[in-house]
Amino acid sequence: MKLRFGLALALLLTIGAACRGAAPPPPGKAQRIVSLVPAVTEMLFAIGAAPQVVGVSSYDHFPPAVEKLPKVGALLDPDTERILSLRPDLVVVYGSQTDTEARFKKAGIPVFNYRHAVTDAILGTLDTITALGAVTGHDAQAREVVVRMTTGLDRVRMRVAGLSRPRTMLVIGRQPGTLQGMFVAGGSGFLNELLEIAGGQNVFEDIKRESAQPSSETLLQRAPDVLIELRAAQPAGDYPAGDLEVWNTLASIPAVRDRQVHLLVGDFVVVAGPRLADGAEAIARTLHPDAFK
Amino acid sequence: MIADGAAHTALHSPLTPSRPIRTRLVLTVAGFGALTLITCVVAPLVGSSSINLRRAVDTSIPFATNVDAQILYIARLPRVLAGVLVGAALASSGVVFQALLRNPLATPFTLGVSAGASLGAMLVIILGGTLAVGPWSPVPAASLAGAGLAAAIVYALANGPRRVMSTTVLLLAGVTLNAFFSALIVFVQYLADFAEVARAARWLMGDLDVGGFDPIIAALPLVVVAALIFIRLPAALNLMGVDPDSASSRGVDVASTQRWAFFSASLATSAAVALAGPIGFIGIVVPHLVRLLVGVDHRIVLPASALFGATFLVLCDLLSRTLLAPVEIPVGVVTAIIGGPFFLWLLVREA
Amino acid sequence: MSPDSSTYLVAHEVSYAYPRRGRGGLVPAVSGVSLAVARGSFTGLLGPNGCGKTTLLKLMAGVLRPESGTVTLEGRVLADLPRRTAARHIAVVPQDTHPAFDYTALEIVLMGRHPHLRPTQLEGPGDLAIAHQSLDATGTRHLADRPFTSLSGGERQRVVIASALAQQPDVLLLDEPTASLDLGYQLEVASLLRRLSREHDVTMVMATHDLNLAASMCDALALLRDGRLLRHGTTAEVLNRGAVRELYDVEADVQFHQAAGHLTVTPVRRAG
Repeated sequence: MKLRFGLALALLLTIGAACRGAAPPPPGKAQRIVSLVPAVTEMLFAIGAAPQVVGVSSYDHFPPAVEKLPKVGALLDPDTERILSLRPDLVVVYGSQTDTEARFKKAGIPVFNYRHAVTDAILGTLDTITALGAVTGHDAQAREVVVRMTTGLDRVRMRVAGLSRPRTMLVIGRQPGTLQGMFVAGGSGFLNELLEIAGGQNVFEDIKRESAQPSSETLLQRAPDVLIELRAAQPAGDYPAGDLEVWNTLASIPAVRDRQVHLLVGDFVVVAGPRLADGAEAIARTLHPDAFK
Repeated sequence: MIADGAAHTALHSPLTPSRPIRTRLVLTVAGFGALTLITCVVAPLVGSSSINLRRAVDTSIPFATNVDAQILYIARLPRVLAGVLVGAALASSGVVFQALLRNPLATPFTLGVSAGASLGAMLVIILGGTLAVGPWSPVPAASLAGAGLAAAIVYALANGPRRVMSTTVLLLAGVTLNAFFSALIVFVQYLADFAEVARAARWLMGDLDVGGFDPIIAALPLVVVAALIFIRLPAALNLMGVDPDSASSRGVDVASTQRWAFFSASLATSAAVALAGPIGFIGIVVPHLVRLLVGVDHRIVLPASALFGATFLVLCDLLSRTLLAPVEIPVGVVTAIIGGPFFLWLLVREA
Repeated sequence: MSPDSSTYLVAHEVSYAYPRRGRGGLVPAVSGVSLAVARGSFTGLLGPNGCGKTTLLKLMAGVLRPESGTVTLEGRVLADLPRRTAARHIAVVPQDTHPAFDYTALEIVLMGRHPHLRPTQLEGPGDLAIAHQSLDATGTRHLADRPFTSLSGGERQRVVIASALAQQPDVLLLDEPTASLDLGYQLEVASLLRRLSREHDVTMVMATHDLNLAASMCDALALLRDGRLLRHGTTAEVLNRGAVRELYDVEADVQFHQAAGHLTVTPVRRAG
């Protein structure tokens, strides 16, 4: 009795799992793609599927060509009407947008489910690129991109191989002009993996989440040797590296003491996409400048 | 306001109204003051990491390399001081607002000041504002501006053709503004990017880890000004609490008292929220607890609430940073978890 | 009305209007009323609801400022006096008291000392003694430590009167002091007020719509209708059938009641 119940449950879960990722359309058919995920948009352009993209998310900025395409909202506010008016044959949605997905299913439009991986994040990104290649008929180019990225990452690995790994902290956000509301990269997720590849050791490795919110005391206690502030875009006007001065209050942190507080600007901070290797290199150059001379 | 809403009389304690007020005031301030002092001395010594106290106070070690000292003086002490300032400000403005609105259930956030502050903070976080104003960093500066705007709107709406403010209009204006600003806050968050939403949500939970003494020094003058006005209010608030017309016939300038009460309480609340975000329940739990112990005379309740508010918040912050260390529970969550059940108990008791 | 040596609290041609709710404009409440209250007298302000007696009372207390005309106390213009000074001479007993907080009876009585204290001064033993005396005078000393909200209607009114007495006023203005009380309490408060008036040399002005109450307590009456003063004089002069008809459009029988010891008014039917 129990065994049968268990089997039935297992079967249900398997079927459920298979059904959850909405089945992507038959390979090579998608000609009118709408993407709500900036990372995926980048990937589509990278594998040469640009002509097949008819709509992008409101947060898409890269590559520059996307600015000319219609914007259809994003995670919280997808404009279903607008999307439908573009007559797509494939819509890329977030894994959590279940009702959006259901809506398109009802309209008979295939949906590509993007899942932002937290464990094995980089691998997940590569897999997504491959899957997109299949769906858009650009398998070869997708393979090329994957190979390029893997090679790029390996190259970074090699450059820093054997070098001592500084204890590093990646700051992904805080209130401007103060140390309040600090968000850092935790021990999971693509930023952590990039840091590892770049030859650094995350002081928050033990917190198995993508981000953490440490207090001043925790910062002082963890005492990183290098501190990298990551910003997606250069903040406007009068707000350059001068803002980094706030760190001087925590003078005992080795990174502050040894003037190892850096600022890195680039989309790779929020977008786990084709430019990951560039991201890894940027971080590696900051941590091990001599290895890149 | 009818008797049903009247705050409860003191339990049997040496501070019940039958003793002369001078004695009660001295005993109260001494008692609560001692509690605050003890809390302020103990709190910096406890934290999520263990520090070597001897090393921390060893002045022979250069400060810039002394981690223990840095944790004590830069990470913990400002938090405790911020807790004192914010706790005292919110608790005492709670008392004043309750008197102004003749309603023991009023809070410093009832009239929309906090919603305005939150909206200001949201706009800066999400639009990526970077303009600092004097010693105020961008988010607190915008928060202060938002609070001021909300207070100004409520004040303008409540000022009728005759000089005295109608408490009903005040309340309605405040509640409406609260709803309106809250809707705007949600809308602004809706338009935001993920990273910004995370930061915005974090701000709304309250945070005493203000990152140094500068933000505290910036907020201090505002709270001091409010406190100086608070000193002159309690006797008038007592009289107005019994009957506004009688108060007038006893020499109280009711309209003027209302204005000063509104201004000072809004100022204290604005400074507190700008500094540490909206931390709820202090403005209502502390005055009620204090009234249970010392009676309802505002001349005693006001200073006692300020002192107890400081103690209460510092203790809540202590819990917030030690209970689940190294993970920190936002202090607004701790005050809510303690305050909510207490409030339910109050309601049950009153029934 | 020219003030003579015995007049004390005088209203000269006072007018006051309230803003009309929602539609702008003003609603006149008191129009050109002149009333001189003699020292030591017990004056009743009589009239139907909305006749302006409460407004007139507030004007004479200095709580409201007249738009035209003046109110003087012993020749000094009330509006020119600092509030606290005026409060040392004039006390008000409102119709109902609903405190928003749970003060004890003693705390409420002590609040009457406010005009005699400096802004941040606390009550001392002398003030406490006066408060106790006031409670004694109203027979409420035993209620001192009880929460005000736990008292009966009659007890509350007596405590409020004690509170006014603690102000040590020369004039006591009362707004419908027995309106919300049962018959028993009404008699209680009425006899208290008569006694206070006689024994403590306090000038009293009472606004009421209760003709019999006024007849039993007041030695002078002022009749108001639609914000205007119709008649003013001693009770005997003023209270008659014609006056009742003028005020209330009611035919009444006005007789001196032997047992009660004062005039009584018995309404018979509506007039005209």
